[in-house]
Amino acid sequence: MVVEASTPFEASEFETQDLLINVGPQHPSTHGVFRMVLEIDGEVVKDLVPYIGYLHRGAEKLCENNDFRQGIGYMDRTEYLAAHNAELSYVMAVEALAEIEVPERAQWIRMILCELNRISSHFMFLGAFGVDVGVFGTPFIYAWRERETVIDLFEEISGDRMMYAYFRAGGLAWEVPTNFVERVQQVLKSARQGVKDFDGLLTENEIFIARTKGVGVISAEDAIEIGMSGPSLRASGVPLDLRKTEPYLYYDQLDFEPITAEGGDVFDRYLVRLQEISQSIDLIEQCLDRLQDGPIVPEKMPRMLRLPEGEVYMRTEAPRGEYGVYMVSKGGNKPHRLKVRSACLSNLQALKQMSVGQYVADAIIILGSIDIVLSEVDR
Amino acid sequence: MTTDDSGSDAVEEAPEPPDTFEDTIWPDVNRSLTAVDVRPERSTLDLIVHIPRADVVRGLGMLKNAEALKFDYLRSLTAVDNEADGVDVVYHLYSVPNNINLTVKTTLANDDKVVETASNVWQAANWLERETAEMFGVTFTNHPDPRPLLMPEDVDMSDTFPLLKSHPFAEIDILQGEQLGYDRDADEGD
Amino acid sequence: MSTEIFGIEDVNVWVDALIRVLLVVGFMTVVVMGLIWIERKVLARFQQRLGPTRTGPIGLLQSVADALKLVGKEDLRPRNADPWTFELAPYLVFIPVFLGFVIVPFVLDWQIRILELGLLYFVAVSGVNIVGWIMAGWGSDNRYAMIGGMRAAAQGISYELPLVLSLLAVAMVVEVPGTDASAEAARGSLNLNEIVASQHEVPNIVWQPLVTVVFFIAALAELNRTPFDIPVGESEVVGGPFVEYSGIRWSMFFLAEYAALLIMALVFAAVFLGGWAWPFGIWMDDAPPRWAQALVVAGKASLFIFLVIWVRASVPRLRIDQLMGFSWKILLPLMLVQVLVNGLVLVYDWPEIILTVVGLFGIVALFAMVERAVRHPRPRPMTAAQLQGEAAS
Repeated sequence: MVVEASTPFEASEFETQDLLINVGPQHPSTHGVFRMVLEIDGEVVKDLVPYIGYLHRGAEKLCENNDFRQGIGYMDRTEYLAAHNAELSYVMAVEALAEIEVPERAQWIRMILCELNRISSHFMFLGAFGVDVGVFGTPFIYAWRERETVIDLFEEISGDRMMYAYFRAGGLAWEVPTNFVERVQQVLKSARQGVKDFDGLLTENEIFIARTKGVGVISAEDAIEIGMSGPSLRASGVPLDLRKTEPYLYYDQLDFEPITAEGGDVFDRYLVRLQEISQSIDLIEQCLDRLQDGPIVPEKMPRMLRLPEGEVYMRTEAPRGEYGVYMVSKGGNKPHRLKVRSACLSNLQALKQMSVGQYVADAIIILGSIDIVLSEVDR
Repeated sequence: MTTDDSGSDAVEEAPEPPDTFEDTIWPDVNRSLTAVDVRPERSTLDLIVHIPRADVVRGLGMLKNAEALKFDYLRSLTAVDNEADGVDVVYHLYSVPNNINLTVKTTLANDDKVVETASNVWQAANWLERETAEMFGVTFTNHPDPRPLLMPEDVDMSDTFPLLKSHPFAEIDILQGEQLGYDRDADEGD
Repeated sequence: MSTEIFGIEDVNVWVDALIRVLLVVGFMTVVVMGLIWIERKVLARFQQRLGPTRTGPIGLLQSVADALKLVGKEDLRPRNADPWTFELAPYLVFIPVFLGFVIVPFVLDWQIRILELGLLYFVAVSGVNIVGWIMAGWGSDNRYAMIGGMRAAAQGISYELPLVLSLLAVAMVVEVPGTDASAEAARGSLNLNEIVASQHEVPNIVWQPLVTVVFFIAALAELNRTPFDIPVGESEVVGGPFVEYSGIRWSMFFLAEYAALLIMALVFAAVFLGGWAWPFGIWMDDAPPRWAQALVVAGKASLFIFLVIWVRASVPRLRIDQLMGFSWKILLPLMLVQVLVNGLVLVYDWPEIILTVVGLFGIVALFAMVERAVRHPRPRPMTAAQLQGEAAS
């Protein structure tokens, strides 16, 4: 069954011409407004040029002209699938510069919400990835079933299904509902079942394995060189998880290990994310055990934040990788410079390297496996 | 993460001894950067070093390869517009094996925003420099692919640098459709 | 010339042909619309949603609504599309499918025409629609369409072979119950009516389990259904060769796809599950009432259709090289071996139980070969390093 690698694919006797295919910006499978031009020879991709910027809204400039509280809304919109994580980086940067001490209860709740957001974001990935691979609809609906439970909970807490604006510099905007712990338990129960469903549907499926194993491989050295982060990096074997290596909030009190995989191919990226959902469920349970009553904002919280001069690069582990906020303040109530370090942008740089030499159908799957959300790439 | 209390006091009472940065990674950094004029500065969380423009890429290469440091991961590359004081290009570095961080800054004068590209040191710098170039008007010499990243490719934006403070925050004069010469009235047949 | 139809004697041949054609077209359209509804509902249930519910009771009129909408759409043609190729393509896809209906045995002794070479006719006619797909792909002046058309052609041709061989394997060993008591039972027939009748005791699936499985897989590929739907892979080439068609032309493709599904289901029911003959048994005289036979055939065809929809809801799509490799390197050799074994059984008159045993071993071998191909995939056509001289830009 194994065929020896035959002569390299060369245009030998025929004069063949390479075909330039434009994928996007409107296309059912690019996850957002993204365009890439593929140069293909038969079915093999010889070159790939990505074009981004369709969703660029100038979030950084907007934040420079709005004060530190208004910026939270813009951070939500740079990564709408994991908005809590986006807000977290920003809010922690402000707290670091202003030297605000956040009460314990607020920190634990922040952790729970960020991990819940990780769960919903990874389910979104599983759904969209299933569609890319070709299972029509079934994983998508499973994913949406799980996301609905999480998003309903977020709506009860912050009033919004997707753009929460719930974190504030110093803590949270308001107290969570009284049945918070029970609701989170319900969500976790449903999420556990969702993980089992996905595992049963896709992980051992012969065709899925044939489509994804060995496809889009990137080695650990290349991944570090090109600046990848998050599950895509961990799937190549690098145990770099910011919650473990540079712990923030109270992650150093929790018991977990970064999930890695060996191969660095599409299947491993899928598997790492699937297992991270289970890990997040476990982390939330540990947080719920440690959650105590208490205030959610410090007592002396100024209404208008004026930060001293300084700068900070605050990074957290968002579901897609390292989401960093580089904030420079020169006094006053607005940041002088706000740079959003986007995990998806850095991960997307690796697309060309992973896809060249593979088949066209695989290029689509590789793009899906990096799990980008264009609003973060373009800001 | 609680704020980093890196040892220097915020309260100024008696004149304090000059900061030797001994408790940070500064000694290793200083040792690795040979023949480079470098100046450290404290900051929240990380150490900042300032390197002049002519030596910055060489210095970054040394920082990447130094045995004690091994900064193999470029986290972020961006610029800060300080108006009259010029434009600072900022590099955030991380070492995966040693788990240490460093911020490198270099200052460019407003009329001469040119610096060498860092994409020969880390591939990650490629797209990050493209974005910095189009947003701030910084020219990275010897860049392998100096095209705009986020700006539209069909409109000539080569004299618009949105993130500079001199660029207005309000409306931008470039409209779509009408100014590009698309004539709604010309009928193209059925 | 005159012939009789439905007991009415002395009907002009042409009128008789016209009546039969109209019957088929009418029956087909209604059944196909029902089939579209069934697929949407069953697929939805697999995916934990409801499917059409609002148009008509339980959404039964959804297909009617879709048909009305499609009929009312503007008939677009891309400016640079080749007019003849573009416009004739739907016909070339649609008509061969209808032609396939001629030989399908619905009930005892009633088909559009009982052909001695029924299976040959069926295979020949179902191959013509590949030409239609290529015409659609090339004539659309669209790269995606062309890629889809080429993929469809490659896939269609590759899977014709296992399909034909599987039908051949069955046709070889069919034991036609002789109406003449003195003659020995003849072996081998391409006449679908006789094939069905020969199964009055045991359906062919028992003697030829491997062949059934291979026919099912090859039929999925001929129908361009998941996991072989790469020509119409929605997330890649967005509809493949049909991306530039709209309105009635597109609906012709759509109808043709479902009509083909229906025909494959009926052929499957006839050839492998015993059609109207099993479990009733017996040949002409004691045949049960026609409505019972029709019900049985419908039930068996429904089983096939349900399996096809089930597979669609559960399984990812194969890539084009995996798909071709599967056909040429796994299915074709197995079918050749099966034909050989069938021939030996014919010549040496071995008991038929050998066929079952060989077939079951064949199924195990099929799974083993697939498993091995999945765990040890072919090396990539090129490495990234071969293609790019240096690192990614």
